[in-house]
Amino acid sequence: MKLEFSKANAPRYLAVFVIILGVIGLFAGDIKNNASKNIDNKELALIVESKVDHITVDDLADWLIQGRADFRLVDINEEKEFNDYHIPNAENIKMTSLLDGGLGKNEKIILYSTGGIHAAQAWMLLKANGYDNSYTILGGLDAWKDRILFPSLPAGSSAIDSINFEKLKAVSRYFGGSPQESASAAAPSTATLKRELPKLSSSGGDGSSATPAKKKKKEGC
Amino acid sequence: MSTIVETAAAETLVSEARTEVKPKPYMNPYLAGFGLGLVLLSAFVIMGRGLGASGAFSSMITSALHSVAPAHVEGNEFYSEYLGDGTVSPLKDWLVFEVIGLFLGGLLSGLISGRSKFTIEKGPNITAGKRLMFAFLGGGLMGFGAKLARGCTSGQALTGGAMLNVGSWAFMMCVFAGAYAFAYVMRRQWR
Amino acid sequence: MNAPFFKFEYFTPDFSLVIAILIGIGFGFFLEQAGFGSARKLAAQFYFRDMTVFKVMFTAIVTAMVGVFYLGWLGWLDISLIYLTPTYITPQVVGGLILGLGFVVGGYCPGTGMASLSTGRVDGMIYILGVFAGIFVFGESFSIWKDFYVSGKMGQITLYELTGIPYGVIMFLVILMAIGGFIGAEKVEKYFAKKDAEASK
Repeated sequence: MKLEFSKANAPRYLAVFVIILGVIGLFAGDIKNNASKNIDNKELALIVESKVDHITVDDLADWLIQGRADFRLVDINEEKEFNDYHIPNAENIKMTSLLDGGLGKNEKIILYSTGGIHAAQAWMLLKANGYDNSYTILGGLDAWKDRILFPSLPAGSSAIDSINFEKLKAVSRYFGGSPQESASAAAPSTATLKRELPKLSSSGGDGSSATPAKKKKKEGC
Repeated sequence: MSTIVETAAAETLVSEARTEVKPKPYMNPYLAGFGLGLVLLSAFVIMGRGLGASGAFSSMITSALHSVAPAHVEGNEFYSEYLGDGTVSPLKDWLVFEVIGLFLGGLLSGLISGRSKFTIEKGPNITAGKRLMFAFLGGGLMGFGAKLARGCTSGQALTGGAMLNVGSWAFMMCVFAGAYAFAYVMRRQWR
Repeated sequence: MNAPFFKFEYFTPDFSLVIAILIGIGFGFFLEQAGFGSARKLAAQFYFRDMTVFKVMFTAIVTAMVGVFYLGWLGWLDISLIYLTPTYITPQVVGGLILGLGFVVGGYCPGTGMASLSTGRVDGMIYILGVFAGIFVFGESFSIWKDFYVSGKMGQITLYELTGIPYGVIMFLVILMAIGGFIGAEKVEKYFAKKDAEASK
């Protein structure tokens, strides 16, 4: 068959080449997003052990401040706890409805719960179902509160620690937290510690409709 | 056999030009498409996102309106998506810079091939004023439709098409369907 | 190789803007070289006289699609990190139809409008003004469209996820469709060129 693409032969070679690539593709098998994937339990255990699928609260705070929109932050706490406080931009998804299609397998998913145990369970669930790009927050919401919302400077800290602490305080205030000034050696009284959770801007009971504290810019067209 | 239209367009240009610079013929469509595909692929590989155009216009409009009526823009759900958190200008956006590049690339290509010229593209049976009116009207429909569909031909059809995005393919089919459906009505403008 | 580079933080968000300009230059260059700076050439697509729009678009789609597939297959590119516009089927169908109408009325789409503007086409400039106006109207009346805008939500979903057909097979089908379309497009152009030649005699 004579294909009359043009006087130049290059498009014809391209066409032949792309057809060959297409035929190979027929037998190439799936790349990702394959739901019926067998999970290697040993491999999974190793990942848990090596903590590669963890994200620290500092990283998360940085990303939120930068306004990065390439991840989904999922709070798997009870709705009541979620309404009391959640990390800005988080959405509340129950453990039982994690696989109901709200999350995409091609999305970066960051899970957290109060202590981290429930998040770890949710992470296993997602991982086993082909959500390869899931992470948990190291230490969970507790770590977020301790380190980001209410950072404190331990007694007897060095000058370098103090400089770092200034940065932490700025981050803390960004998220509406209150740095624990009085925890320093100068004022050892713990009675004055103020750990009031920042007020949430939204009052919605439905987590998904909660207005994020920080608006993400659109990534698409 | 696109040569007939090409030569017709070329003749129009030449006849309108005082300085007789003969524009070079257009690139072979398959080669141009291949080049465009490589640009799109490099956007995927380098940035993890595709190309776009209408998003940049939304950012520009948001920025302009924000300087005039900040409260109005912040209270509007549509604009505030492009506003971000207010720490950086909506203009400091990937798509805005990409569209600046798009302008420069078109300028470069036009100059290289001798096609840069102040002129109006229209069919022989329509006045320049009417053509410009239709251009504005078409642009308006396009801007509105692109926002409704969450993207234009670049952001949806091209980018989403290559990623095999369901919505993008539905969108692409509808663009062609819509255009062919209304082509007859608009024929006086072009033919 | 770990791609997409940006998502692995190989460079800063500020530097990504430099890349944006470079990628944009490539984008604009090939659009203009393909003839997309000319509304007449673009519109001729819809009268079957010049199928360049179809040819360029599908060659580009196939090229990028095959590239993404094989880079992913080799493990160099993490496809899941590439942004996918979520599907809201109803507004996208209606938006697509409006866009199609806008295409034959205006003669450009926003990207090609920029390319035509950069080569001095006055209608391209007016067209871009129109785009601004259209977005403004949409933004101002957003509360009216809001419910419709989020209807038909399907999430971030691809054809192979929707159908369950393997990625490679879908790719093969798209390639076949494109090549078949190209052969058809060449035939259609020839047919109408002949018809026009006869008509003008």
